[in-house]
Amino acid sequence: MQYERNYTMRKALTVAWREFKHTAMTKAFLFGAIVMPLLMMGLFIVVVPLLTESNNTPLVGTVVVLAEDDVLEEITIQIERGNTTLTEVLEKLPDAITNDPIASALLATAPKSDITIIEGNPSELDSIKAQVRDGIYKGVIVVPDSTVTQNGNEDKIEIFIPSSFSPNHTDILTSATSRAVVDARLKRLSHNPAAIRDLIRRPRATATRLSNDGAEIQDNEIARRIIPMAFMMLLWIATFTSGQYLLTTTIEEKSNKVMEVLLSAVSPMQLLGGKILGQAGVSAVILLMYGSAVMAGLLAFALGDLVPVLHLVLFAIYFVIAYFMIATIMAAVGSAVNELRDAQSLMGPIMLVMVIPMIIWPVLSEHPNGMLATITSFTPPLLPFVMILRVTASTEPIAIWQIVLSIGVGIVSVVAMIWMCARIFRIGVLMQGKPPSILQLAKWIRQG
Amino acid sequence: MSIAIDLTNVSKAFGETRAVNDLNLQIPEGSMCGFLGPNGAGKSTTIRMIMSIIHADQGDIQVFGATALASKDRIGYLPEERGVYRKMKVLQFVEYIANLKGMHGASLRKTIRTWLERIELPEVENKKCEELSKGMQQKVQFLAAIIHDPELIILDEPFSGLDPMNAQVIGSIIHDLHAEGKTILFSTHVLHQAEQICDRIIMIDQGYKVLDGSLASIQAQFDPKVLTIEPVDSSANFTSLPGVESVSAGKTNTSFNLRITDNADPTAVLQEIVAKVPVLSARVAKPSLDEIFIEQVVRSRGTEAADAVRTELHHA
Repeated sequence: MQYERNYTMRKALTVAWREFKHTAMTKAFLFGAIVMPLLMMGLFIVVVPLLTESNNTPLVGTVVVLAEDDVLEEITIQIERGNTTLTEVLEKLPDAITNDPIASALLATAPKSDITIIEGNPSELDSIKAQVRDGIYKGVIVVPDSTVTQNGNEDKIEIFIPSSFSPNHTDILTSATSRAVVDARLKRLSHNPAAIRDLIRRPRATATRLSNDGAEIQDNEIARRIIPMAFMMLLWIATFTSGQYLLTTTIEEKSNKVMEVLLSAVSPMQLLGGKILGQAGVSAVILLMYGSAVMAGLLAFALGDLVPVLHLVLFAIYFVIAYFMIATIMAAVGSAVNELRDAQSLMGPIMLVMVIPMIIWPVLSEHPNGMLATITSFTPPLLPFVMILRVTASTEPIAIWQIVLSIGVGIVSVVAMIWMCARIFRIGVLMQGKPPSILQLAKWIRQG
Repeated sequence: MSIAIDLTNVSKAFGETRAVNDLNLQIPEGSMCGFLGPNGAGKSTTIRMIMSIIHADQGDIQVFGATALASKDRIGYLPEERGVYRKMKVLQFVEYIANLKGMHGASLRKTIRTWLERIELPEVENKKCEELSKGMQQKVQFLAAIIHDPELIILDEPFSGLDPMNAQVIGSIIHDLHAEGKTILFSTHVLHQAEQICDRIIMIDQGYKVLDGSLASIQAQFDPKVLTIEPVDSSANFTSLPGVESVSAGKTNTSFNLRITDNADPTAVLQEIVAKVPVLSARVAKPSLDEIFIEQVVRSRGTEAADAVRTELHHA
């Protein structure tokens, strides 16, 4: 057997591997960080359309109409066009969605109704209602002519349906009838309803930004609003999830009294380094998983070009800065307390600072080159979250010197935070009893 | 003989509290040394400094002639505050600690299994630590401390919480390790445990070393103040005899321990007793470590402090 001594790095890597293995290779992690998000995505992609489809069982049967002949004819036309409400919604959807093969396929599953329209005698309304109750007819539509002539004495259009009639089927009848009455009105005045609908349909306007270098960039609402938020959220989820794990494993080692056993084999710095390194792996797994899901989504909608490679490179750099900032904070807090609930009092003020990018996100997104955005993008520990938002939200490229400066400030901050965390960690891991206050932690940094 | 642990003028304070004061210690290689003292005497702080878990404010600590940090992997340490990863399997836990101690290789798992059998836990390797009883967990912790075959083994209160059966198993292994030539530093506040297994005693009180030497030499330093008498008639009354301060039950049902007054001569009192009461046996008893320690506290801190220490020792 090989007996090795003083392999500092090897010890830190041994700690790192245990940290990674017992966090990321557990059922709880697989379920919480991988299976759950996948299940939720699955729910949206598969289950919701399925549920919608099951609701949309086609309306099959006979509907009696008590109306003038021209109205009857218009109702027949509208019913044959299918679910008119869905048609109207589809007309308003952006091209990005209606052109997408998956979305089109899902929307195309809307069922076709098979309804026979027959004319009824108004004097037999009570008898027809009875037949609707008995299930012989699917419904009876009563359209008083006053609703078409608009003589100022407008009566109500009434549709009588069985008690078990589904809301979707009701919608088919009410929408078709309303549109039919409008079309009948227009025709009686010798207008062409289809032509008028085309005339009043609002055209889609697109904004094109003229950049200083002479280029023309088409403004994209999705790119401008959602993608920057997605980048920042991704950074948050990846760093805070693993940061939380780092906090809990450190507290667990203290409360389980295994800390002193570990410190008999490794130095506090080897332990801290190993733990941060191990959780960095966990964070990277989370980032890759969610990041690839987002990228896959963008590529599926043919929106891949909204995320340039440069943004991905900067995202990777800011991820490393953000991770080490969060990890050092969490490790320091974890080492200072003995129980998770003690950590809450220390985490309170820290979280108050860390949620600032979330709170000011709308302002940052709207004015990515404004004063607030510029200042906060150089302020640790907000810097990586704000800067990645600015980089992806700004329509004008962020000045190179600002990016370089923020990365520089980030690296210096990370080094300083590791130094402070190490001093707290060294004292904290062996400390029992009452948890320290923020001021006491500052004292430990001076003493350490 | 080489020195395993060498402490020179070591001091450590926590705020206003001075935990260890100007401590000098030399523990020879191969010795079985008891590191004794009541709770709060400074034992665990001294051990943590030897393990370089905390650093001394003053003084020098050497282990096997090198800094304590450099010798870390040559030491096996069972801390007083000990625990396990609750969700880890027993084999994984011991393997992890062995890895951290620089032990790798294909035969490691085989070694762990052999040791699990030796500590009478052959079936637990795939059980999670949280599934074990407290006593079983303690045996696993003991195994984690010695699995890397260290030259120096430091055990801080190794028997606390163990039932007599498990204490005997661990005691027997400690004895075997000592026989193999390992240096063992054994800390306890239960002094009679150390009396039974240690060949050398270091006693500290309030951060100061108060005794250091072999058990025999320490016992010889203290005047015997107890006589052990086995009378023919067990109803015999000794309290009225001159020089006898108090009477208590002896180690056997038929014997009594007679504490004599400080100024009495034990030989004269013994002759007096034998002359007046028929006895089966009568001898001057060797002072126990408890008695020696209390005597030492009386000398250094007075009788009031000694009473408090006596109460603590009796409750241990």
